[in-house]
Amino acid sequence: MTKKIKLKISARLVKKRSRRGNGNRSKMCRFCSDKEQVYGIDYKNATFLKGFLTERGKILPSRISGACARHQRVISQEIRKSRVMALLPYSGPAF
Amino acid sequence: MANGAKLTSKSHKGSPMMRQYEALLLTVPEITGDEAKHLETQLDKAIKTGTGSTISFERWGKYRLAYEINKSDYGVFFLMRFELPQGTKTVADIKTLLKVKLNNVVMRDMISVLDPKHPLTYQRPRSLEEAPAREADSFSKDAKMPGFFSMDDRDEIDED
Repeated sequence: MTKKIKLKISARLVKKRSRRGNGNRSKMCRFCSDKEQVYGIDYKNATFLKGFLTERGKILPSRISGACARHQRVISQEIRKSRVMALLPYSGPAF
Repeated sequence: MANGAKLTSKSHKGSPMMRQYEALLLTVPEITGDEAKHLETQLDKAIKTGTGSTISFERWGKYRLAYEINKSDYGVFFLMRFELPQGTKTVADIKTLLKVKLNNVVMRDMISVLDPKHPLTYQRPRSLEEAPAREADSFSKDAKMPGFFSMDDRDEIDED
């Protein structure tokens, strides 16, 4: 007869540990790793900058865009310039 | 410090250091060829008075704007690149020219200094003139809605 081993770790803790394993991977800024891509961050390149906006036209935070503080600043500055020229919206379509 | 300041204001040969600029202009959608030419000559004149030179003047084409400007949903973009000697007030003059004299044609403008380290090539969104026109029939085929637009199929449905 096999003896039942009492689990000392709670399910919540197991979940937490697994999450830590996946999410602990350090995010690399893609603009830091590839200098060529930095030239793409331009207020004229609205199709590229559209990828850094939400559906409602808000600028994505750096924790989602994965950009470092320096490049996030460049992205948001260029998006704001692009908005002035009506290439990008200030706000998305109303529901 | 003084040496550095000298280098930025004047080149080694003694001629003033040139700085490259870029002006993106958003004009009214009804702009004619003559008006566009007039716009180009006016700007070129202003640049030449500031002892500069025009590098390029491009017409991007007609675009659907992200929001309405002057009660119109469309606009035509122009990109102009020029160079001017450093420390002149010509850029301010050009801005005034666009905002006052050419106000009826130019809706928005943006003048920026070009970084000499960056390449001159750039990406731009596709204009309405470049976008491939889709026929209603091909759309109905893609959306798997046969007979939505064609009259032949509609007759068949009526018979049933």
